[in-house]
Amino acid sequence: MSKDSLSHIIKVVFLVLFISFILDKIVFHLLNKVSDQVFSGQSIGKLNHYLKVKDELDLIVFGSSRANHHVDPTLLTTPSFNMGVNGKMIAYFATLMKLLPKGKEQIILLHIDPSNAYINYYKAGDLRFLSTKYNRYETIKMETDRMGQQNILQKFYWSLSYNGMILGILKNYFSPNYDYKNYWGYDPIYPSNPQRKIFEEILKTEKEITCQDTLTLDEIHQIYLEEIKLFCDKNNKQLIVFTSPEYNDNCKNDNLQFSALMKKMGFTYYDFSDFFKTNNSISYWKDKLHLSNKGAEIFTQEMKRIIFE
Amino acid sequence: MLLLSSYFFYACWDWRFLSLIIFSSFVDYSIGLKIYNTEAKDKRKRWLWLSIGTNLGLLAVFKYYNFFAESFAHFMQTLGWQPNDLTLTIILPVGISFYTFQTLSYTIDIYRKDFKPTQNIISFFTYIAFFPQLVAGPIERAVNLLPQIEKKRSIDKELFNEGLVQFFIGLFRKIVIADTLSAYVDAVYINVGFHDSTTLLLATFLFAFQIYFDFSGYSDMAIGSAKLLGFKFGQNFNLPYFSKSITTFWRKWHISLSTWLRDYLYISLGGNQKGKLLTYRNLMLTMLLGGLWHGSSWKFIVWGGIHGAALCLERILRNRSFWRPLQRFHLLGYLSTFSIVLLSWVFFRANDFDDAMFTVKKIFQFNFSAPFIPDRSLLTNTAICLFLGILFDFYLFRKKIDLEHLGKKMNLTQIVILLSILILLINLFYSTALNFIYFQF
Repeated sequence: MSKDSLSHIIKVVFLVLFISFILDKIVFHLLNKVSDQVFSGQSIGKLNHYLKVKDELDLIVFGSSRANHHVDPTLLTTPSFNMGVNGKMIAYFATLMKLLPKGKEQIILLHIDPSNAYINYYKAGDLRFLSTKYNRYETIKMETDRMGQQNILQKFYWSLSYNGMILGILKNYFSPNYDYKNYWGYDPIYPSNPQRKIFEEILKTEKEITCQDTLTLDEIHQIYLEEIKLFCDKNNKQLIVFTSPEYNDNCKNDNLQFSALMKKMGFTYYDFSDFFKTNNSISYWKDKLHLSNKGAEIFTQEMKRIIFE
Repeated sequence: MLLLSSYFFYACWDWRFLSLIIFSSFVDYSIGLKIYNTEAKDKRKRWLWLSIGTNLGLLAVFKYYNFFAESFAHFMQTLGWQPNDLTLTIILPVGISFYTFQTLSYTIDIYRKDFKPTQNIISFFTYIAFFPQLVAGPIERAVNLLPQIEKKRSIDKELFNEGLVQFFIGLFRKIVIADTLSAYVDAVYINVGFHDSTTLLLATFLFAFQIYFDFSGYSDMAIGSAKLLGFKFGQNFNLPYFSKSITTFWRKWHISLSTWLRDYLYISLGGNQKGKLLTYRNLMLTMLLGGLWHGSSWKFIVWGGIHGAALCLERILRNRSFWRPLQRFHLLGYLSTFSIVLLSWVFFRANDFDDAMFTVKKIFQFNFSAPFIPDRSLLTNTAICLFLGILFDFYLFRKKIDLEHLGKKMNLTQIVILLSILILLINLFYSTALNFIYFQF
């Protein structure tokens, strides 16, 4: 290779790295400015909203979409907030829980699906959804690094934190989905006719499933369950773990084993998976795992009666 | 060094199948020399058949055994017999279809006296296993690649610029555009029974661009990274959806495969030199086998069949007096070609043949209503990515710019700005990387 070519290659590589680094930082800080003003939408608005109100809440619901769509916290008590987010699991909400104020008395309703506690592929990847706050919250940084969820490139290109979120952020910045001051995190589902039809089709063509006999508790669940328990005991939080209803949960091994585990670890636990078993109607459901607004309302009322009264 | 790094690259997937590449390379290296050193035609032919038999034999066992076993069992069942289960659990070695075609072209070229075999075994083994093109092509001919491996290479400014620009554009096409489009396509094709004509048509339309940006993106990365190492590969895609006929489409789509099929299958069968009927037969056979090359399933054979039938039809119509005036309407040509390609993609994407037939029937029921929208932001992302992808291709088409040489035409400032923006866009919009579609072949 000629000297001229070599110097050209070095120049191109250096300049691309330098300019892309500068551009990345400018965009990252601009996005921080914009996203901090966003309080609606599931990807970042809800997280910002939670971080804004968390210190004043009496009750917080944590969990996946099944917590988000099933529990209306305002029916339980106020001020309260449902921090259920689609696809998120224990690492995500345990980290958010650790951001709660230390001494304030608060009730925490934590939704866990026993089937998720016994999977062996969970790597706490949901922590990546907190990456926009990585550089601003020590707890989030610590948990993300501890679980090895920081993208190595992210140390150089910070805007990777906003991967896949830009359109949502811009949309919610210019035209918020809702007025967040009247929103408490609960998102009821109103199934459309096509959705109902699809669900009916699924039920018709349902195949028999094989249940797993041997179940091993996922290591990450074990770690976070212990830490959550300790955090709540130390910080004046009343922690209640629960499992949401399912249309027809045919495998009960995981529920039984999880129930025993909760008892052994000293958690207050309610398994509502068969809640609608004796009084079921398709109108209570959007699909096999998610309740409709109608089902969610009945469930929250009953939950209130069983847990709080 | 190149050979070791290529073998390491392949071993990262599964080291056990390295033995298969080494065996295949050794067989063709030896046979290539045998053919070259033998004068008698029948002996040369015997050596050639040994090479073809060995290569296709390996392909048949690893890729097609279960397909033929299942088809045989199905046929026997229709005759009233119930054969035992003949299928085996076989792992498909990544890239086998691609390197088999490379080894075959090497021995056939030597047999045809188009190419002189190399004496250097390391060079030959590197030609077969060269990592940028090992797992999903482009299918490089020995006549192009081997001399480059054997001579001293140097990277000049222009080649470096070309490679860098092509690599990053390929990366963008793959992980931003194709992978974003795949989310909607997968959500629909996972269960076609739930959807109406609109949704199925929309998903197929998006798949047409998903597979294009996926495979052309991969090819750009392969060609671009080869350029960064000082190698020049042939072009593999040339804006195929800007084609006014299926014949033109195949001159622009997966060029390394279509020219391979033309040179080693179509021409070997007689090409267009033996009369009209045999020309049509040769076209159909070439495309049916081209379909089968993609995968061991009837749906790929039908996919090839659709293209073969369209190529025959174009040939039939080409000289008809009523057809010539119609060819002046370019837009009609683009639309009809894209429609045929779209129909064929249903067979390519569907989970199996039954799903494909169901989808085609459902689309042609013309039962249109609002499409299925699983997630609005996903659809917005999809629309923006598709728009960007098409816009860029349209720009290249209008300006008659070859992506292969885009980098050569840019100065330092333009390259730095383009790459910095591409890196930023990739960071902000890349989708969770899925497997490359063509890795399965």
